[in-house]
Formats: sequence, C-alpha cells, structure tokens
Amino acid sequence: MLSFILIPLALLGGATLAVQSSVNGRLGAAVGILATAWLTFVVGSVISVLLVLFVQAPQDISLLAAPRWQMTGAFFGVFYIVAMVFSVPLIGIAAATVAVVAGQLTMGLLIDNFAWLGNQRIALDPQRWAAIVLLLGAIALIYLGNRKRETS
Amino acid sequence: MKQIFTLIIVFAAGMGLSVEAGLLGPLGETVGHMSATLCIFLVGGLLLSLALIFAPTRALPQLFSQPRWMLTGGVLGPVYVVIITTATPILGVGTTMVAILFGQIATGLLLDHFGAFGVPRQRVDRYRTGALFLIAIALFLIH
Repeated sequence: MLSFILIPLALLGGATLAVQSSVNGRLGAAVGILATAWLTFVVGSVISVLLVLFVQAPQDISLLAAPRWQMTGAFFGVFYIVAMVFSVPLIGIAAATVAVVAGQLTMGLLIDNFAWLGNQRIALDPQRWAAIVLLLGAIALIYLGNRKRETS
Repeated sequence: MKQIFTLIIVFAAGMGLSVEAGLLGPLGETVGHMSATLCIFLVGGLLLSLALIFAPTRALPQLFSQPRWMLTGGVLGPVYVVIITTATPILGVGTTMVAILFGQIATGLLLDHFGAFGVPRQRVDRYRTGALFLIAIALFLIH
C-alpha cells in the first residue's frame, strides 16, 4: 500500500534531479562542475539544517550517535562527481550516462538481493531478471539517443 | 584501453550512487530522514570545499557573478535526498533507482521539448520515449 505513495514520490525525486541538472548544467558550463557541485552541497546543507531544526520531529538517536560507517554516503556521491568531471571529456556524455545507470542499477539490485548495509532482502526473482533485460534495452536506447544528440 | 578503464571507473561511480542510497535508508530510519540528508550535504560540502581549495583553477569569484537563477539548482537537492532516504527502506534500492530513472528521463524529455532553463529546444525523440516505455514495464515488474 505504502508503495503507491512512495513510487510516485520517487518519480518526483527523479524529476527534481532532471530540473536540478539542467540548471546546474548551465552553471557548470560557466564556472565548472566542481564549483557547481560545491554550491549545490552548501545550499543543500543550509536547507537540511533548517529542516532538522524546525521540521523534523525530535529523534531518540542523534546523528552523531549513529555508526560512523553509515555516514560515509557522501564520499560515494563526491567520488561520482569527480569521476564524471574527469571521464566525460574522455568518453563522452552518452557512454558516461550509460555506464553510470548500469552501475547504479547493478549495485541497487545486488544490495537488495544480498541485504547489504542493513537493507531488507529483496531476492532476484524471475520478474526482476525480466526487468533487467528490459532495463538493458532502455540503456541501449538512451545511449543511441545521446549519441545522436552528441553528434548533431 | 584508456577508454575501457574510464568506463570501469564511471561504472563504479554509478555503483557508488546505489551504495550511497543503501547507506542513507537505514541511517534515516534510525536518526531521522532529514538528519540523514544533512549528513550527506554536510560531509559532501566539506569534501568539495577541500577539493575547491586545491583545484588548479579558481572558480568561486566567477560563481557569484552568475545570474541568481543559475545558483538555485541546489535548492532541489534536499528534496531528492529526503525522498530516497524515505523510499529505499520500503521499496528497496533497486526499485527506487528505477523509479528515479524514469522520473529523470521523463522530465528531461519535457524540459528539452519546451527548451526550459535555456536548454536548446529539442523535440521528443523515439529513442528516449522507447527507453521510458521499457523502464515503465521494468518498474512494474520489479517492485
């Protein structure tokens, strides 16, 4: 039942990502990806502090009491940004997008299947394998579409 | 050879994005979704501050001379992170990522079509509508 709310919410999350990347794309072209990412994270920090202080209900466990390894998420996000800065000039945006999406989906399905990092287990059943085949097709189409736009 | 190596690095970077979501979900469950979001932006902001200080080119002076609307991209970041923190523990990382991908491509298509935010106008093309169609079925199967 909850997934009927959460899936549209995740779709909305993807939409915010697309809007953010077109605004940031313009900024990145003017000042570089690193400065753009820095601004995004600083603005994000400011807003998150306000949310924690004034919107979130008080929690039993504070952020500083959580295990340190759970706080390392941002290292992966920053690694992604730096990897893109260096790779896009070498392999092009089409190939880079495809590699990112493929990596993202592969790891997402693996984490679910093996219940890594304290997540619930969602096994790779035949339906998920069928979805993987469709996603491979989608990735191929995204590559072809980006390739066409890159060359035109 | 260098190309294949670069592709592997980018693939690993993509895997990292799912690891980030996989870490965020359980963290948000214990300390609150907004605190988990704060953790991402704070640590990320600190790391990038270090990177900026030592980067070969100085970009900050130019950054603040851009038109203000161009500086607003970051406002949406926390929305996105709060959503993945809330969704992953219940939907799983795989389903969340597929749903995000769909929203991202669909919106990208619309923004290109209308030429929003100064993006060059581009008509909806068959490749990306085809991709969207496949992702929609995959999303239906996966969750």
